[in-house]
Amino acid sequence: MELNICHLYPDLLNVYGDMGNILILKHRAEKRNIKVNIINISINDTFEPEKYDIVFFGGGQDFEQSIVSSDLLKNKVSFIKEYIESGKVFLCICGGYQLLGKYYTTPAGEKLKGLGILDIYTEAGNKRFIGNTIIYNKEFDETYVGFENHSGKTYIGNLKPLGRVIIGYGNNGEDGYEGCIYKNTFCTYFHGSLLSKNPELADRLLKLALQNKYDEVALSTLDDSLEMMAKEFIIKRET
Amino acid sequence: MFKIQAKSFISIITSKLILKMSKTFLKGGTNFPGKVALKIDKNILNTISKNYKIILITGTNGKTTTTNMIYNIISSTNQEVITNSSGANMFSGITACFVDNYKFANNNVKYAIIEVDEANVKYITEYISPEIICITNLFRDQLDRYGEVYTTLEKILCGIKKSPKSLLVLNGDESLLGNIDVPNKKIYYGFNCAVDDTKSVNLNADAKFCKFCKCNYKYNFVTYNHLGDYYCNNCGYKRPKLDYHIDKIVEQSKSGSIVEINNNKISINQPGTYNIYNALCAYTVSRVLNIENNVIKHSLQKQNSSFGRQETINIEDKKLKIILVKNPAGYDQAINAISLDEDKINLAFMLNDNYADGRDVSWIWDVNFEKLTSLNVDKIMISGIRLYDLAIRLKIAGFNIDKFHMCKEFESLLSEIIKCDEKTVYLLATYTAMIDFRKLLYNRKYIKKLW
Repeated sequence: MELNICHLYPDLLNVYGDMGNILILKHRAEKRNIKVNIINISINDTFEPEKYDIVFFGGGQDFEQSIVSSDLLKNKVSFIKEYIESGKVFLCICGGYQLLGKYYTTPAGEKLKGLGILDIYTEAGNKRFIGNTIIYNKEFDETYVGFENHSGKTYIGNLKPLGRVIIGYGNNGEDGYEGCIYKNTFCTYFHGSLLSKNPELADRLLKLALQNKYDEVALSTLDDSLEMMAKEFIIKRET
Repeated sequence: MFKIQAKSFISIITSKLILKMSKTFLKGGTNFPGKVALKIDKNILNTISKNYKIILITGTNGKTTTTNMIYNIISSTNQEVITNSSGANMFSGITACFVDNYKFANNNVKYAIIEVDEANVKYITEYISPEIICITNLFRDQLDRYGEVYTTLEKILCGIKKSPKSLLVLNGDESLLGNIDVPNKKIYYGFNCAVDDTKSVNLNADAKFCKFCKCNYKYNFVTYNHLGDYYCNNCGYKRPKLDYHIDKIVEQSKSGSIVEINNNKISINQPGTYNIYNALCAYTVSRVLNIENNVIKHSLQKQNSSFGRQETINIEDKKLKIILVKNPAGYDQAINAISLDEDKINLAFMLNDNYADGRDVSWIWDVNFEKLTSLNVDKIMISGIRLYDLAIRLKIAGFNIDKFHMCKEFESLLSEIIKCDEKTVYLLATYTAMIDFRKLLYNRKYIKKLW
């Protein structure tokens, strides 16, 4: 078996260690004898929806994010929409999450157009939400931990959240939700890297991608004792 | 003796007393005495820094080593010179340094070589007009504290704008520092030769896109991260002409480097490309101060490594080399320096997430730990508050977890170090982890001084 993982703008959106998610997905797939190809897609490259099984879209600094934003709207928006609507696996973090929405307002008050693929939007906040975060997803009965660092306040409307906030601020510090899920697109503000302490979520993404491609989902169990101890440590200390 | 106001006098005396007490009882530096001095007289820094020719060193990485190098070079010319310790590079710590060295009846002209935190430059230049301000480099650093590199640069520039007469000594290979819009006179240093055959920046490097037109930079060569001989094909922005330059790297080994700077052969007894930059910056400042070439050369080849910068501590029969790591660029350079060691080695890692370390440990995922897997590593010890996060990172990098010795307590880290079969142990530690571990080493009498 083989999985193609597309990393969107790895050269521009790379500041918060989100690259780790790609390394972790690759590691966990290869442990199950699944071959992984990483495809880096950046400025002026063509996004080819049929080629990828998992797409990762991280966050960056304002300067780089402005470069990304104009390239997306010019070259990629319809292809990314097609990919997401077809139910393929898409993981978005922080800036990537904000860009999928209808718009986001910068701290300077400028309203920037998003890709408008998800029915969500982000307003500028005057407080930066920084800290360790813990959320619970009832449907999956899973607890995720991570680190958030954002000032944008995101509102997800009728979409499902990734989880309910136990510790931290979440999407906007108001409604108690963190992240959002639409079809097989998972959005969150979690750094950490996200998948480093949430191996259940990593395997969920791999399973969905394999299901889409091969109709089968058998993933052998891995030794996640370090990951679980890292997660437990945060839960114990923060709650 | 020039006249000072009563308020300043009280401020100095009180602060000096507290300094004296904190040195006796706390056995280490603190910002508190400086805070008291400032509370009594907010202009105190202006008063107590008179008669000093001041050189400020700022930037993300290399501040402490560069500051020490310049301090040692000037000391060897028998001129009076003071410096601050790396733990005191904020406004209050720097004030405390000047208070500590203040003498009521000494009007000799002296030098002050001051390391300053990037965000604190603007507070210092409010009261002081330095002869020289050096900027070493700008990398992403503890994003929960500093924000983005462009923000950091803005903060430094804001400080420089308050001191338009200061000469700027700038890293020319740092694309963020070319053509900066300030009236100050500028001197640039950098590499005129490649370190290796790297001609493009790593995907994960910082500041890869032209700050003027947002197109990606091209490079004649990259020295490390985003530093190098850059140019932009679109708008024509390119590296400024270098005034002081590395013309040749004669040798790089685990014990240091031999280079040619403006046709002078210089030995630097601290390894790694980043230390060549530090030495080059120190060389540039010294030449600007008209210090003779031979004096600089002599000093640079017998530097003592500073606190946590490959400082070697003897622990029983082991040689423990401590390297302070704070951000991906510095960590990668530490890994490159360790990679110069061809012998079998032990590795120890400490990761804390206190405020001074950065509360977010995500940055370890931007460090190229994969490179360490090609070394001849015997034993791996992992410690610190966030030891599991680091262990996961090393596992994903390709290390076998059976090799890991997880040391929740510093005591067990120390005993694991003593039990190693091989003599050399490299310890890569974040700031508060290093400080706390040093306290243990101090209590066990492996080191004589905490700071």
